[in-house]
Amino acid sequence: MRVENVVKKFGPFTALDGVDLDIAPGEVHALLGDNGAGKSTLIKIMSGVHQPTSGSIYVDDKKVFFRNPRDAAAAGIGTVYQDLAINQLMSVTRNFFMGRELTSTFGLLRMDEMDKIAHEEMKKIGIDFSDPSQAVGTMSGGQRQTLAIARAIYFGAKVLILDEPTSALGQKQQMEVLKTIKRVRARGDIAIVFITHNEIHSKLIADRYTFLALGKIIGAGTKNELAGGDIRRLMAGGAEMADLEQELSAI
Amino acid sequence: MTDRSESDRLQQESWIQRTVRRPEIGAFVVMLIIIVALAMASDGKSFNALGLKNNVAIIAQLGIIATGAALLMIAGEFDLSIGPMIAFAGMSIAVMLKWGLPFGLGEATPLLAFLITLVMTLAFGWLIGTIVVKSGLSSFIVTLAFWFFLRGLTEVCFRLINQNTNVSGLPDFKKESWFAEQMGGEVFSWFFDAWYWIGTKASAGLEFTSDMTKSEKIDFINYLSFLNINRKMEQWVTGFDARLLWFIIIAGAAWYVLARTQLGSWIYATGDNKESARANGVPVNRVKVGLFMFSAFCATIFATCQVFDTNSSDAAKGMFKELEAIAIAVVGGILMTGGFGTIIGVVFGAITFGLVANAVFFIPWIDGAWFRVFVGTVLLLAVFANERIRKRITGGI
Repeated sequence: MRVENVVKKFGPFTALDGVDLDIAPGEVHALLGDNGAGKSTLIKIMSGVHQPTSGSIYVDDKKVFFRNPRDAAAAGIGTVYQDLAINQLMSVTRNFFMGRELTSTFGLLRMDEMDKIAHEEMKKIGIDFSDPSQAVGTMSGGQRQTLAIARAIYFGAKVLILDEPTSALGQKQQMEVLKTIKRVRARGDIAIVFITHNEIHSKLIADRYTFLALGKIIGAGTKNELAGGDIRRLMAGGAEMADLEQELSAI
Repeated sequence: MTDRSESDRLQQESWIQRTVRRPEIGAFVVMLIIIVALAMASDGKSFNALGLKNNVAIIAQLGIIATGAALLMIAGEFDLSIGPMIAFAGMSIAVMLKWGLPFGLGEATPLLAFLITLVMTLAFGWLIGTIVVKSGLSSFIVTLAFWFFLRGLTEVCFRLINQNTNVSGLPDFKKESWFAEQMGGEVFSWFFDAWYWIGTKASAGLEFTSDMTKSEKIDFINYLSFLNINRKMEQWVTGFDARLLWFIIIAGAAWYVLARTQLGSWIYATGDNKESARANGVPVNRVKVGLFMFSAFCATIFATCQVFDTNSSDAAKGMFKELEAIAIAVVGGILMTGGFGTIIGVVFGAITFGLVANAVFFIPWIDGAWFRVFVGTVLLLAVFANERIRKRITGGI
C-alpha cells in the first residue's frame, strides 16, 4: 500500500499537507508524532473514514478511492481503533464474528464452527482460550487487543492499522500486544502500521519509521538509518531534548 | 517468564456454579417462592382446575407484551407506548366489527379487522422506531409522546365512531370464525379432559348426600374442584385461554431468535455498544426499528385475544401494561442498559407477576393494592441484582 502526496483540509484548517507513506508486507511501519500531528487523520484516510482533499492511495500499485470504511475493508485494510469495536457483555466468539456471523438456513448460527475458528485464530497469534463463550468483559486489555487483531486478520486484512494499541495498558500487557504484533509480522504477508507515542515500543518492533509534525513528514527511514537520538528528537516534533532541558531549567 | 497466561486466571466452574450464576436464577428463585407461598395462602385454591386456568391466562397475557419489551430492552431501547397500543388495537378491531370496514367497504370479518389493525400498529411501531434512530433522541421521550398520542387518538376514535368510549355486546365471533376462536377461544383442552378423566376415577362412588353438614359440603366441593369436577359432577374447566398458545409461540420464537440466530447476535450487539456493532457491519438501525414493530405486534396480539375473549373493548384497556412489561423484563434479568438477558428469565418473571397480580382472587383477606407494593419491592431488588451481574461480567467497570 502506498500513500502519495495526500492533502486533507477541514475548511480552513490543513490537517495533512502532502504526506507520503510506503507500506510493505511483513514490515512493521511505525507512525509517530505528537498529539495533533495528523496521525489520526492519516489513518482515517487510509481506512476510508475520511476522503483526501487531494493526493492518491495505491494498493498493489493500483490506484484506489475509498468512499467509506466498507470499501477500505474490501481492499484488505483492517483498522483496529483504540476502542477496539468490541462489546463487553458478549462472548469472545460472538465478538469475533460480530456482524459477519456464519449462518445456515433461517439465520441459524453455526456456533460450534464459530467457536472453533475463533479459538484457532486467536491461538495463532498468542492467546489460548479454554472457553470461547466467556464474556469479553472478563478479558484483560491486551487480550481484547489480540481479539480485535485476530478478527481483522481473519476477515482478510492485508494491511493492519493499529491505532495506539499499547496506550492505556499496563506494562506487562503492553509487552503481550508487542508480542502479538511480532507474530503477525512473522507471517510475512501482512503489512502493519503501528501508531504510537511510545519511543521504546517503536524501537522494539518497528522496521521503518515515519514522523509527522503539524501535518507534514519531518523524517522517515528504516531502523538502521535512524539513530536513537534522531528518533527521540523527531518524536518531540523536531525539538532537541537538550534545548528542552535548558528551557525547563530556566523556569 | 512463567508460562502462566491471563486466561488461566479465569476459574473453571462446575455446572452447578454455572447454573447458580446464570442471570435467570434470581427470577427462578422468586418464582418458586411465590408459587409455594400462594399455594399455601390460598389453601391450594390458586392451583385447582379453575385457578390454574385463570392464573395462566394472566401469565400469558403479561408474558406476550413482556417478550416484546424485553427484546427491545436488550437492544437498548424502551417502549412506553405498549399500553396505549393495546387500547388502540382493541378499539380498531372492535369498532370495525361493529361498524364495518372503513370507507364503507362492507362488513368486517374478525380476520380482516385484525389484519387491518395490524398494518396500522406495525406502521406506528415503524414510525416510533424511525423517529428514535433518525433523531437520536431517547426512546423514553419519543414513546412517552406516543403514549399520550395513542391514548388520545383511541378515545377520540371511540367517541367519533361509536359515540361512547367503549364497544360492548359484540356478537360472539368465536362460534362462526376460526380465527376468533384461535384468539379468544380455548386451547389444550386435552389437558383438562385428562384431568377430568383422572378425577372421575378418583371420585368414583362419591356424591352429595342429604345428611352432609354445610362444612362437609364445602370440603367436598373443594375436593371435587381439584379433580376438575363441578358440583353437578360434570367436567368443570374445559381448556386454557387461547392466549397461552400465543405466549408459547411468541416467547418460543423470541428465545430461538435470541439464542440461536444471527439476528439474535445483532440484537445483543446493538444493545451492548451500538457504535462498535455498527463498525462491524451490524445494521443497528434496522434492528431497532424492527424491534419497535415487534413490540407493537405483541401489543396487537394481546388486544386481539382480549377483544375476542370478552367481545368488547374500551379506551382504558392496557392501562399500566407498558410499566408491567418493563418491570417483568427487569425482574427476568434484562439489563436496563441493554445487551444482556434471556427470554427464559422473562418467562419466569411473567409467571411471578401473573400469580401475584391474581393472588387477590384466591386469598380474600388480602388487599389487591399489595400487588403494586410487591412489584415495587421486587423491581428494586432485581435492578440491584442485575447491576451486580453486569459488574461481574464487565470486571467491575
